[in-house]
Amino acid sequence: MNAPLQMANLRGGYGDADVLFDVSIDLGDREIVVIVGPNGAGKSTAMKAIFGLLKVRDGSIVFDGQDITGWSPDRVVQAGISYVPQVSNIFSEMTVHENLEMGAFLRKGNFSSAYERVYQLFPDLKNKRKAIAGSLSGGQRQMVAMGRALMLQPRVLLLDEPTAGLSPKYMEQIFQISRDVRDTGVSILLVEQHAKQALAFADRGYVLAAGRNRFEGKGSELLADRAMAEMFLGG
Amino acid sequence: MLDFINFYVVPGIVTGSIYAFAAIGITLVFSIMRHAHLAHGDMATMGAYIALAASTMLGLPVYFALLLAIPLTAALAVGTDKLFYEHLRKKPKILTTMSTLGTALMLRSIVQVVWGVGTTSYAKGITRPNDWFGLKIKTNELITLLALAVVVLGLAAFLNRTRWGKAMRAMSDNRDLALLCGIDNARVITLTWLIVGGLCAISGFFLGINTEIKSMMGWNIILPAFAGAILGGIGRIEGALVGGLMIGLVEELSVLFIPTEYKAVSAFAILLLVLLVRPRGLFNGKII
Amino acid sequence: MGFLEALNYPIYVAIFICVYSFLAIGLNVQWGYAGLFNAGVAGFFAVGAYTSAILTSPDVPGRLGGFGLPFIAGVAGAMLLSALVALPIGKICLRFRGDYLAIVTIGVAEAIRIFARSEEWITGSSRGIQNLPRPFGDLPYVYSQLAYLALVAAILLVVYLLVERQSASPWGRMMRAIRDNEVAAMAMGKDVPFRRLQAFVFGAALMGLGGALYAHLGRSITPEAIDPMIASFLIWIMVILGGSGNNRGVLAGVTIVWIIWTASEFVTDQLPMEYALQAKYGRIFLIGLMLQLVLRFRPNGIFPEFRPTQKDSRKPDKSDKA
Ligand SMILES: Nc1ncnc2c1ncn2[C@@H]1O[C@H](COP(=O)(O)OP(=O)(O)O)[C@@H](O)[C@H]1O
Ligand SMILES: [Mg+2]
Repeated sequence: MNAPLQMANLRGGYGDADVLFDVSIDLGDREIVVIVGPNGAGKSTAMKAIFGLLKVRDGSIVFDGQDITGWSPDRVVQAGISYVPQVSNIFSEMTVHENLEMGAFLRKGNFSSAYERVYQLFPDLKNKRKAIAGSLSGGQRQMVAMGRALMLQPRVLLLDEPTAGLSPKYMEQIFQISRDVRDTGVSILLVEQHAKQALAFADRGYVLAAGRNRFEGKGSELLADRAMAEMFLGG
Repeated sequence: MLDFINFYVVPGIVTGSIYAFAAIGITLVFSIMRHAHLAHGDMATMGAYIALAASTMLGLPVYFALLLAIPLTAALAVGTDKLFYEHLRKKPKILTTMSTLGTALMLRSIVQVVWGVGTTSYAKGITRPNDWFGLKIKTNELITLLALAVVVLGLAAFLNRTRWGKAMRAMSDNRDLALLCGIDNARVITLTWLIVGGLCAISGFFLGINTEIKSMMGWNIILPAFAGAILGGIGRIEGALVGGLMIGLVEELSVLFIPTEYKAVSAFAILLLVLLVRPRGLFNGKII
Repeated sequence: MGFLEALNYPIYVAIFICVYSFLAIGLNVQWGYAGLFNAGVAGFFAVGAYTSAILTSPDVPGRLGGFGLPFIAGVAGAMLLSALVALPIGKICLRFRGDYLAIVTIGVAEAIRIFARSEEWITGSSRGIQNLPRPFGDLPYVYSQLAYLALVAAILLVVYLLVERQSASPWGRMMRAIRDNEVAAMAMGKDVPFRRLQAFVFGAALMGLGGALYAHLGRSITPEAIDPMIASFLIWIMVILGGSGNNRGVLAGVTIVWIIWTASEFVTDQLPMEYALQAKYGRIFLIGLMLQLVLRFRPNGIFPEFRPTQKDSRKPDKSDKA
């Protein structure tokens, strides 16, 4: 199993202070990996590190055998990683279709097939193509955000809390779509608050706390781990 | 009634069109670059004088001179960005706003040194208004309104139909996400300055052709233009259009109620009022 | 020409430096401590100058005034009214980011200038207000100038010490915390808008004080004196060139910029008539260029604020990311 994305021993932060102290995460081919952990643990920060939105002072990020540490966001996107941030992850004043179009901004040539694929994954969006994205429901906005990220047909998709604030029904739907996306050959790294559901759904999981790896393993193993459960899953 | 329209409404709409040209540029800078462009008025003055120079030195008809002034002023706008603002991009935006004030003073000074502080005009002599069943409108005024329609429709088509136009909207909407989409910020900014510079030339030119040309002409419209942009809602082209027109009308109508000297203050009063009760403006724009 | 007479010009320059120092320190309280871009310093300067003039000048038929109050009452009134004008403006604008304040303060200065030019019954319009009392005005010219300089310098020293003490107090530390990281300060439960309003109003009062002292110096005030080019923009350059946040730096900035400014006038006055006028306008270019150069090469001024804890004095704007 070759791992398309490897973060090794990352240390860094936004200003002079470190937020991440020692974070290592591997993402394998066609794998769904989840990061869980308490609020402020540095989960979002770890994702931003991949996108060069952070001062990384130590450690490395390797994608497809290439060291991408400190690359600018557009280079990282071009290389094949797409990112759905936790907040303000859509162009809320633009239509659904325009959001997708912006997602494909870097693509040359004809990409009507990319629209097709996204609308296939998110049939809800198809009827709403002309709607202003900001006017949609929370779940639909999350779909726009994911659809936008998929327009470049990335090899790796980063999702930061895609189910935050959504109903269980939408959560299931987002998980299901993530599996479908994975089946098209995309590796997915996601951050989740709903730790139990997410660990049950993902292939592997990492628990982050205070900027460090605390536990890692198969989702089912982590769920079974007593110590881990007591600390992070509320027993 | 016709007198009321001829004396107040028509001049109000014409003045408002000039404000609208300026307000559209201001709203673009405000929403995409996220700072106030305090050099907007003086850049309009510069555009007006470039057109004047082109028409007197090259003997061009004034409207052809405008077509020359537009790209030159656009290039000037890009130049000021590269020289003065680019290095401030990663710093607090307020520093760029300060820098635009420096640009304003420099441009004004160049105009005053080269062309002096006197008043002049594009064409000598008084043009008589056309009379349509009592409605009196000068040809230049008609052209001003026509130009406004063309500019607004053209800009709307560009922003809604073209790839780079949409990129501009995306950056105005959510700059970080635009970056994550791989949209080249630097190119969008240059493109925006090109458009804004061109709009400056247009607003300065029409201000000059409907009133007179002088070195302070642009600085004097900066408050009404900002008032128009904020009244319409920052980032909204249609807002800047409506806001600019409304401010022009209010200014002309204000002389019915307050002394003429305070005409300029009425726009400022509206600006304060909008900030107080509806800071997102009529069209629900951004608060930068 | 006696020794003292030779000092006439330096004394004159020194008085001006002191008077502008009030504006600059006022602006430093607003910008340097609270990060507020007041682009209409001239407006608050004008309110101070006219208020003190109206309170202290003798009666003129058809014009408000004739109170004949003493100098000190005029100065106090000037500070109070400038603060009162700043209050509603601050209330409206400080909810937003700085650019709005910049636009609105330009508008305020413009409105005040128009008011000063139009309202004959209050401001005497273009003739202005004359015959203000001047402390030590009865002494022979040089002595009178020297005494006025001493007075202005003494007031400046008091203001300087007061502002310095305030800046070193918990209040000052909090202001800087707010300026540098508004979000964090807000999260720590600071009432950010109120604190900024305080700084804005206090700074405006100091500008009013500067205006009053200016008016009494020349015993008159006219609309020309409140030219934004000098009373707003030149003051800006003084503050940021000197080092915003650092009062001593700001005082040095006032001195340097005012000397360059008056020296450049010296130069343009030597030119033949037809160039002299153009050169006068060329000096405005100099103001703009100085502003650009400082922003580019010395964004923290020649004498940056002393900050033991931080390398960079201003962090990138957080509000941009929202
Ligand atoms: N833009 C930022 N600037 C400075 N500090 C930040 C920023 N974003 C997050 N932090 C800090 O970094 C730490 C980790 O935050 P984050 O990665 O968002 O946590 P989470 O695990 O909940 O996603 C927190 O202490 C937070 O305050
Ligand atoms: Mg997070």
